[in-house]
Amino acid sequence: MRDVYIIGTGIHPWMGFSEKVFSDFAAVAVDGALKDANIEWKKIQAIMAGIFIYGGNAGHLSGQYLESIFGETGVPVVNVYNACATGSAAIRMAYNSVAAGETDTALAFGADVSPKGFLTAKSDNAVQDRDVIRWKMGGLPNPIYWALECRKRMEKYGTTEEDLALVKVLMSEYGSKNPDARFKKIYSLEEVLSSVYVCDPLRLYEICPVSTGAAAVIVTADKELISKAGKAVKINATTMGSAIYGDPTIRISALSCPAVAEAPMLSESYSASQQAYKKSGIGPEDIDVLELPDNSSWHYLVYLETCGFCKEGEADKMLRDGETRIGGKLAVNPSGGFSSHGEALSAQALWQVIECANQLRGRCGARQVEGAKIAMAQTYGLMGNSGTTILSV
Amino acid sequence: MENMANKVARIPNLVDWSTGEVRLMSAKCNSCGTYFFPKEHYQHRPGCSREGVEDVLLPQKGKLASYTIQYYPCPAPFKTEKKITPYGIGLVEFEDEKIQVTGIITETDLKSLKLGMEMETTILEMFTNEEKQQVVTWAFRAVK
Repeated sequence: MRDVYIIGTGIHPWMGFSEKVFSDFAAVAVDGALKDANIEWKKIQAIMAGIFIYGGNAGHLSGQYLESIFGETGVPVVNVYNACATGSAAIRMAYNSVAAGETDTALAFGADVSPKGFLTAKSDNAVQDRDVIRWKMGGLPNPIYWALECRKRMEKYGTTEEDLALVKVLMSEYGSKNPDARFKKIYSLEEVLSSVYVCDPLRLYEICPVSTGAAAVIVTADKELISKAGKAVKINATTMGSAIYGDPTIRISALSCPAVAEAPMLSESYSASQQAYKKSGIGPEDIDVLELPDNSSWHYLVYLETCGFCKEGEADKMLRDGETRIGGKLAVNPSGGFSSHGEALSAQALWQVIECANQLRGRCGARQVEGAKIAMAQTYGLMGNSGTTILSV
Repeated sequence: MENMANKVARIPNLVDWSTGEVRLMSAKCNSCGTYFFPKEHYQHRPGCSREGVEDVLLPQKGKLASYTIQYYPCPAPFKTEKKITPYGIGLVEFEDEKIQVTGIITETDLKSLKLGMEMETTILEMFTNEEKQQVVTWAFRAVK
């Protein structure tokens, strides 16, 4: 396998609902990535597209829609869906294609337009699609799943409401320094603690909403293109994991979970990160910057443990001691995280990779982690989807 | 048990009251020992032969393993005639079956919820259908 580098990245800033179509957002991100890599469209030899699930035929064939905007060239276009880890699947396929020598240069992208109102069932067939049961009979919007786990954690490890609020305080501070973030207001601990409960113990500012956004990454093994790019970033590993039997987590969309743990919590993310550590030879102790999926404050804490940055039940202390701040032992979510962005389903994993790449390229201005050499992007998707990408300069 | 005449589950094969008690419809794999809910949500142990899966009812009572209180209405297609928000959602553990199941908490003071407390399976009336039947979902309530 050849070494593979990120040479270009592009983002359409995160925002709320828009009347514009997803492919317009995708085009902005891809244009940005081409300019950043300083290459022409014709250099792209494969397109790995995250699909836009609310976009009908167009959304499910997002790669073809994107390709026709820039000009059809006959290259392989693959459209992929792995819930909120969709972007992880796209970059992994781009990496594998280049590393294996199938292509020299490949594009991964994802674009999402926030649906109006709430996320809900996407079919009406309860036999075929269990998700229908949770919506029709379960009364279970996504944050309930996180709240159920959060309460277990508070009972088991003594996580406090202040810990949950502190996550938002930190994320809002960093988000205010990120021009691509959707939410830029800085919150105090008191403001977070006085926000309404959405699902007790999680409050309004401690969960992330759905957003609109797009992200694109160009990877290559072409030495000429690498030397032409402004500080190329090496991909040490980009992996995907699925769940493991006996994982006690109550997974979004499910109506039950094992009562006796035989596998780690969030085992899909445990699997993805362990694969990445093994493949890259890089361990949690080597990592300077971590972008983790803080869908809620609970996620911020549990992901530090799932991915081995501390032992089970110790994440709260890391947070309280300032170890996860910019300037601390491990800079966690200098981008402002999902808390400052919201979820743009097929784009968010790529946006996390881009934040990591930008940190390693020293492009992050007021939120820059000084001297960052190794960064890791970790995703989380419902029903057992996860991806890990480790980058270095 | 409440009067179950003229009641129908919104989706079949999830909740049963034919025994005189309201109980959840599960399935057990006799090869790997895993219980499933819903019963078609197969989650076999890797390497299991998957032979001998039989329908079983979960016990009527279990213990509260976690809960949350939901403060905004669940969006459609969820539907109830009466306003239920804020409502509790419990994760109830059936110890012998080694499974925890989610369900709306009903007929219980939400302030009294404590992890480990005993809960029983019941139903929640959602709405009346065109055949004038009460459409229900499964739910949990504190054992009095």
